[in-house]
Amino acid sequence: MEEIRYTQTQPDLDAVFAALADPTRRAILARLADGEASVNEIAAPFAMSQPAVSRHLKVLERAGLIERDIDRQRRPARLNARSMAAAVDWLNDFKAFWGTRFDQLDTVLIDIKNSKAKEAGHE
Amino acid sequence: MSELPEYKLERVFEAPREMVWRAWTDPDLLQRWYGPGVETIIHEFDLTPDGSWLNEMKWGDNSLYSKMVFQEVAPPSKIIWHHFSSTDADWNSTPNPKMPDWPRLLLTTVLFEQLGDKTKVCLSQIPMDATDAEIACFAAAMSGMDKGWGSGYEILDDMLTELLAANP
Repeated sequence: MEEIRYTQTQPDLDAVFAALADPTRRAILARLADGEASVNEIAAPFAMSQPAVSRHLKVLERAGLIERDIDRQRRPARLNARSMAAAVDWLNDFKAFWGTRFDQLDTVLIDIKNSKAKEAGHE
Repeated sequence: MSELPEYKLERVFEAPREMVWRAWTDPDLLQRWYGPGVETIIHEFDLTPDGSWLNEMKWGDNSLYSKMVFQEVAPPSKIIWHHFSSTDADWNSTPNPKMPDWPRLLLTTVLFEQLGDKTKVCLSQIPMDATDAEIACFAAAMSGMDKGWGSGYEILDDMLTELLAANP
């Protein structure tokens, strides 16, 4: 049997979901959805130290959910939509797993009903 | 121990309960709807406690195998099974090729509730014997399923739609 191969270029979804499991990190992502921001700017609305925010940013960066500038002093962080999109795709696939099956079941049930009705009509 | 994350799906079908039950438990009918867009081959279907449903989804030269082991069978209202979502061709559980931390085993409960001449089906899946990483992975995914990862996620979703529209 031939094995199914997946491309290696896609983001590490495990890391993405692990990163997204934390509410603070989701809030940081929501903040970055408004535009890039420095650690200071990100930390401001949270009752959290800068080092704590930096640790969250590292997790998000490793998951590929954000990118940070290396050169500039502020090292602003910004969202990387590609990883996020991969996670959303996975979710949609999972939702589709049962959702599409239920759609098909609907069709099969209608078929059964119709064939029963036909049988009854012939009697 | 905190509560395990759960996937839930409910749907009302326009058919009497006995008919819906048959569509789930007669392999000939089951393979007509299970596995949309691909060929579904049911290699074994033993609807008794500890009996197996060995399922192959086939398209072209590709196959995806999964194994369901029934735990409780109560016609026409309830089926509970252990769902190994990914197996090799010998039906041994394997990690998901796309996402290694996806739970390998999901406790699946399907309830059939009679509503006049209609039937409400409630499906639930909960990780079983799962590692912390598997639970975290499933929990993160489930928290995104219905409530949309909180308001933060909704913002992201909007932004993504814009970004993807701008850079297809």
